[in-house]
Amino acid sequence: MIEVWQAALLVAVIGGIVDLDSTATWQFMVSQPVVAAPLTGLFLGYFHGDVVSGLRLGLMIGTILQLVWIEQLPLGMNIPPDAALASVLSVALGYLAGRYFESYVEREVCNTVALLIAVGLGLLGRSLDIWIRRLNTSIDNWVAGKLEAGAFHALDVGHSLGGFLTFLKAFLFCFVAVLIGVEPLRTFTQSLNISQNTGFIVIEGLLPAVGFAVLASRCLQTPRELQVFLLGVAAFTLLPAWFWLPVIFGLGIGWYSSRSPSNA
Amino acid sequence: MPELSRLTLLQVAFRSFFLQASWNFRGMMSMGFLYAIKPALDQIYADPELRRQAYVRHMKYFNTNPYFSSILMGVVLALEERVARREITDDIIDDTKEGLMSAFAAVGDGFFWDSWRPFVATFALLFAFNNFLLTPIIFLTLYNLPHLYLRFRGVFWGYRMGTDVIRILGRFQLPRVRLGLRYATMVLLAYLVANHVNLHTPLLITNLPMEYFYWGEKIVQGIGATLLVGLSALAYRSKIDVLTISFLLMLLALLLYHWGILI
Repeated sequence: MIEVWQAALLVAVIGGIVDLDSTATWQFMVSQPVVAAPLTGLFLGYFHGDVVSGLRLGLMIGTILQLVWIEQLPLGMNIPPDAALASVLSVALGYLAGRYFESYVEREVCNTVALLIAVGLGLLGRSLDIWIRRLNTSIDNWVAGKLEAGAFHALDVGHSLGGFLTFLKAFLFCFVAVLIGVEPLRTFTQSLNISQNTGFIVIEGLLPAVGFAVLASRCLQTPRELQVFLLGVAAFTLLPAWFWLPVIFGLGIGWYSSRSPSNA
Repeated sequence: MPELSRLTLLQVAFRSFFLQASWNFRGMMSMGFLYAIKPALDQIYADPELRRQAYVRHMKYFNTNPYFSSILMGVVLALEERVARREITDDIIDDTKEGLMSAFAAVGDGFFWDSWRPFVATFALLFAFNNFLLTPIIFLTLYNLPHLYLRFRGVFWGYRMGTDVIRILGRFQLPRVRLGLRYATMVLLAYLVANHVNLHTPLLITNLPMEYFYWGEKIVQGIGATLLVGLSALAYRSKIDVLTISFLLMLLALLLYHWGILI
C-alpha cells in the first residue's frame, strides 16, 4: 500500500517514459493504449499488492481507448490526441479512486468515469504537446545559430533538451492530474450512489461499439468492403465464438485479396 | 578516406531512435536527423570548417516516416562521402534528401500508420477481449518485427545502394500487402463486432423456448451490435466527436434499460 503522492510520482514516471515513446523517441509503440494502460495497471497493482486486478483494469481500459484512437494518425503536421497520457491517466485514476469501493458495480462506474475524463485529458495533452513543439522551434533556431558559429555541442544540448521537455511535460501533467484528480473522482462516484445494477453494466457492454464504429468508418471505404464486412458479421454471428476462427479467416482473406491488385 | 565502419552505421541506426526528440514546426526532424548522423559526419569530415558546413547543410527542413529514416541516413552518408571526395557538389544532397524524404513519408506512413498498426492493434484486441493478460507483449513483438528490421538493415541498404535504394521498396509489394492487411483487419473487426458488444435482452428469456435460446441470443447480439456500430459510425462520419457519441450511447443504453429492453 502506498500514499497518494507516491502513487502520483509512480504514475508520473510511467507517463513521462510512455509519452516519450509516442512521438519523441524509440516509437516501439509502448505508447499505444493496449500496451500503456496494462503497463500502468501492472505497476499500480504491484505496489498495492494485487498485480492481476491492476492488469485486468489496464487491459479493459486499454482495449476501449485503443479502439477509439486506432485511426488517429501522425501524418505530416497532424498531431493526434495524446493517447498515451490518456491511457496512463485513466488507469491511474480508475485504479486509485476505485479501490475505495467495495461493490463491483461502483468500481466499474468509477472506471468508466475515469475513462471519459481521460479522453478529455488526451485532448488537453495534445495542446500541451503543440506548446512544447513551439518551444522546440526556438531551440531549433538557437541551435542553428550556434552551429553557424561553429559551436557543435549546441546540437546535443538542444536535441536532448527537446526530449527532456517532452518528458517533463508528461511527468508534470500526470503528477498533477493524479494528485488532484483521485479525490474528486471518488466523491463523484460516491455521490452517484450506485451500488446495484442500474443500467451501468448495460452501458459497459455497449461502450466498445463506439470504438468499433471508429475503426469501421476508417476501414470501410468502398461498397465492396462494406459487403465483405457485413458478410463477415453475419458469418461470425452464426459461427461459434472461437477466437482462432477470425485469425484463420482474416489471414486467408487478406492473403487472397492481396493476390488481386486490380481492385486496389 | 576510410569507409564508414559497420559499427558507426549501427550507431547511426541506434541514434535514429531519437529522431523526433526535438520535433518542431520549423525544421521538424532537422535536429534529430543531424543528431543521428553526427558520429558518421565527424568521421567523414576531419576539417572543422568542412564539418561546420555539413552541419549547417543538414539543419534544413526534414520530415519523413521515422522507421524509414535510417535508410535515408544511409543514402545521405554515402553521398556525403562523395562530397568529401569532391566527386559531387553538396546541392545534390539537398535534392536527394528532399525527393527521398517525401517518397519514404508516403510509403512509410501509409504502411505503418495506416495499415500495419491498425492490423496489429485489432489482432491484439482479439486477445484483449478474451482477457489474455500477455496481450501487450504480443502487440509489441508483432509490431516491432518490421520496425526493427527496417531500422537496423535500412541504414546498410541506404549506404551500400545509394539512391538506388528506392528500387528495394518495389520488392516488398507494399500496396498489395496493404490491401491484404486491410481486408484482414476487416475480418477481425467483423468478429469483434459480432461477439464483443454485450447485449442481453429479457424478452428472449420470456418469449423463446429454451432450446432456441442460444441461437436467439447470438442473432440478437449480432443484429443489435451491427445496428449500434452502424449508427455510431454514421455519427462519426458526420464529424460528431467520440466523447459526444459515447455519451449519446450511454443515454440510449440507460433508456433501453429503463424500458426493460436490455438487461
